[in-house]
Amino acid sequence: MDIKIPDTWLRDFLKTKATSSEVAKYLSLSGPSVEKIEKSVYFIEVTTNRVDIASVVGVAREAAAILPQFGVKARLQPVKLPLLKFSNKVGYLEAEVNHNLCPRFSAVLIKNVQIGQSPDWMKDRLAAVGVRPINNVVDISNYVMHELGQPVHTFDYDKIRGAKMILMESRKGERLTTLDGKTHTLSGGDIVIEDGEGRLIDLAGIMGGGNSAVDEGTKNVLLFVQTYNPVNIRQTSMSLAQRTEAATLFEKGLDPELVTDGIGRGIELFVKLTGGKAEKEILDIYPNPYKAKKVTTDIDFIASRLGTGVEKEKISQILRSLGFETAWRGKILEVLVPSFRAGDIEIPEDVVEEIARLYGYHNLPSELMPGDLPEPLKDAPFGFEEKVKNILKGYGGVEVYTFSLVALEEAPTGLKLKNPLGKESEYLRTSLMPSLLTAARQNAGEKEPFHLFEMANVYLPKKGDLPDEKMTLGGIFANSSYREAKGVVEGLVGELNVKSEIFSEDAAHYLPNRHIYLKVKGKILGEFGELSQGYLYYEFDAEALREAYREIESFKPIPKYPAQIEDLTFSFPSRTKIGEVIDYVFSSNKSVAKMELGDIYNENYTFRLWYQHPDKTLTDIEVEKVRNQLTKGLKNKFGAIVKS
Amino acid sequence: MREEIISTKNEAMAQIMDADSSAELEELRISYLGRSGKLTSLIKRLKEIPGEERKEVGILINDSKSAIESLLAEQKNKLGEVAREWFDPTIPGIKPKRGHLHLITKAIGEISETFKQIGFVRVRYPEAEWDWFAFEGLNMPKAHPARDEWETFFVDTSAHPTYGQIVLTPHTSSGQIREMKRVKTPPIRMINIAKCYRRQIDASHVPMFHQFEGLVIDKGISVAHLKGTLDYFARNFFGKERKTRLRPFHFQFTEPSFEVDVTCGICLGKGCKVCKEGWLELGGAGMVHPTVLKNGGIDPKVYSGFAFGWGVERTYMMKSGLSIPDIRLLYSSDLGFLKQF
Repeated sequence: MDIKIPDTWLRDFLKTKATSSEVAKYLSLSGPSVEKIEKSVYFIEVTTNRVDIASVVGVAREAAAILPQFGVKARLQPVKLPLLKFSNKVGYLEAEVNHNLCPRFSAVLIKNVQIGQSPDWMKDRLAAVGVRPINNVVDISNYVMHELGQPVHTFDYDKIRGAKMILMESRKGERLTTLDGKTHTLSGGDIVIEDGEGRLIDLAGIMGGGNSAVDEGTKNVLLFVQTYNPVNIRQTSMSLAQRTEAATLFEKGLDPELVTDGIGRGIELFVKLTGGKAEKEILDIYPNPYKAKKVTTDIDFIASRLGTGVEKEKISQILRSLGFETAWRGKILEVLVPSFRAGDIEIPEDVVEEIARLYGYHNLPSELMPGDLPEPLKDAPFGFEEKVKNILKGYGGVEVYTFSLVALEEAPTGLKLKNPLGKESEYLRTSLMPSLLTAARQNAGEKEPFHLFEMANVYLPKKGDLPDEKMTLGGIFANSSYREAKGVVEGLVGELNVKSEIFSEDAAHYLPNRHIYLKVKGKILGEFGELSQGYLYYEFDAEALREAYREIESFKPIPKYPAQIEDLTFSFPSRTKIGEVIDYVFSSNKSVAKMELGDIYNENYTFRLWYQHPDKTLTDIEVEKVRNQLTKGLKNKFGAIVKS
Repeated sequence: MREEIISTKNEAMAQIMDADSSAELEELRISYLGRSGKLTSLIKRLKEIPGEERKEVGILINDSKSAIESLLAEQKNKLGEVAREWFDPTIPGIKPKRGHLHLITKAIGEISETFKQIGFVRVRYPEAEWDWFAFEGLNMPKAHPARDEWETFFVDTSAHPTYGQIVLTPHTSSGQIREMKRVKTPPIRMINIAKCYRRQIDASHVPMFHQFEGLVIDKGISVAHLKGTLDYFARNFFGKERKTRLRPFHFQFTEPSFEVDVTCGICLGKGCKVCKEGWLELGGAGMVHPTVLKNGGIDPKVYSGFAFGWGVERTYMMKSGLSIPDIRLLYSSDLGFLKQF
């Protein structure tokens, strides 16, 4: 949580000559982070474990410990309280309290309150921390909360029927209207207060009830300061989406000892600013007062975690400055934890942190760890993935990163999110195709050919288990021909030394007859084809591709005798598959070492052929024989006619 | 035959010296070195010479040939501008089509390479993960307010009896326990790079981004080792004069916890217009919490460790000084953007 602390308010409790920027700098280095100072107000980030510094006094206490470590004098001015008399029974209020929900319950009646404006100094400070001044009663509550970090509530005493309160867990379905006018249906387990007539008058720790709220006509106020079970508060606040400042403090577990300061400071301000008169006896139901918690550690442990030794004397001095008590028995250190740190300090590591941050992280050594190195990951995919990306880049591909969250129609079988940001990102994708289509469309103005590709996980649902996260390679071509795009796919597979077979078979999203699967030993590696939107698309299962990949192609002896190369042009009847023609040539004629398709012009296909024999140079006569055999075969099998 | 070779050569040399146009030089080249040139026909006659001698004569012919070639070239250069064959060397080349790897791929490559040098093993763990690995096992029970720091997406499926709901990992820290369970007995030096998801979108946040998580576990691992590792990274990734510092922070899964800053690349820590105080915030780090070690099956009495987890995009921007105004641009597929890198 982020809090705002005006410098002048801080200096009520922090006595130092340090400038505000020095205070900010040293706090950030050894305590809470000061994000900025604006108009003499500190903007401070308070972590969830340090609710004890979510207040003016809390920050002052921390600064008073930290500044001297940097050689700057500083002292904490404690909160001055009037003389207070506590009693677990009072005449003006009968209370039944579930102690598990409310470890400390205190209240005091303040009579004859004059409701009016707060003085300017109070209004100014509240405005500086972002609270709108309303009237003196409401302002006092807010002021005490920001000063001490202890939420304070006020009831109109005369609206509490029967002068009785029962603090208990709500029952499912009960309804309560808070003072902001919202009516909540409770789900049970919320902390609520019922008055003597069984009416719910408070959603405790979150917001007061409308039926017991202070208004312009209020005469007598019940000042109300408690500590609540943080788990219940958190649950209520989250489930009702009622994130009040009080709730964000209570849900982090407040120090019950802080109640004393809260009620004392409240009484003082009420008397001063409203002319009210407080009852002598304060109701205080606090069955288990705080007993200092002990954490034991030792000097060797501290040194081993810091990477350097710190003297006992220094350790004690640091811990005492933070409110801990310390006792050494030889190497053993016993630390007594102050009540305001009880929620945070549990184990020796916590004590190490306190020592280290005040000793100064900048004073610790910096060195690389010695020791054995771990074994590298067997069969790691990263090198392969990088290689694939580099190959595609080499072919002019442009890599993209697109969001894996898509709309329902883009992943009809995908996993759904409970709390998506919107309909367009409600499902986990099961293919890269929709994302890459969107990516290609984003460049619709581009007239030149382009090729976008991405390698990312798709998430395939599995019943009762985490989804199968399948690393997938997808790519899309625009302004390109089928042959150009297919060439890139073939180039990739070839460069990976993968011997795949091609099966043409129609598939969803692709134009009829314009889709192929690439398979190795019957297993599908990927697919390629022309989409109905006119783009060309491919998608590979990256893991299957990696399995089929061979790092080095096995060595083949370089042919001793030169090849005879010639171009032949054929025409074929329509609906001839050239892939089959090429397969046929290779299977029927051993002397053809290589065959490539060149130009296609008016149904005339020009091939370049390499005739080669392992043991001799083919003579013109021998080549002619091969050529005749080939053209005859093609004529019989495919009806091909030689053009040249 | 030797004399014949030498006289042919001398004759050629003399004629080349006298030539005064590139056409004439070309004619001479053809008449001596062309397919039926004088020297070429001498080469064809080599096979008539018996064994031993053939080698020596061969060398002589070759030498003569190179002498003629180099004199031809030299003479061409000597010709005046007008007599030379016209050629424009400034004409633009025909470029091969250029592809582009994405900035994030480059960033991930550099980050993993830097940590590989000091023995870190790159791994990858589920991006859709059980709540237990992302939160509970990391010392964040169900209702814990610390969870608010991570705006988490939940998957709409039934929960696992032990591991709870499926979440989209809001951080790579969920890989910590996975790695401990994989390795079982330290040493562990892990670098886990993966996609992360958070429910937020604005100029500096995207719902999907990348993090890299370092985890080191061994006997006697201290804050000093964390500092050493971070400084090593800063020097080798950002530049040798860059330094890091730790500031206190809080995470449930580390104790102590830190926020890590690196000195600004422009002022090197002195403070300037860009960084204000001289330091830029990198991300979180800390000493692994003993509860987390226990949850990973590692005895915290014997072993200790540190961890850090930062955004890939953010860290890379800080390195390269790319001032990309809106992080969402990284995830756009605009060729105008992608082709810049």
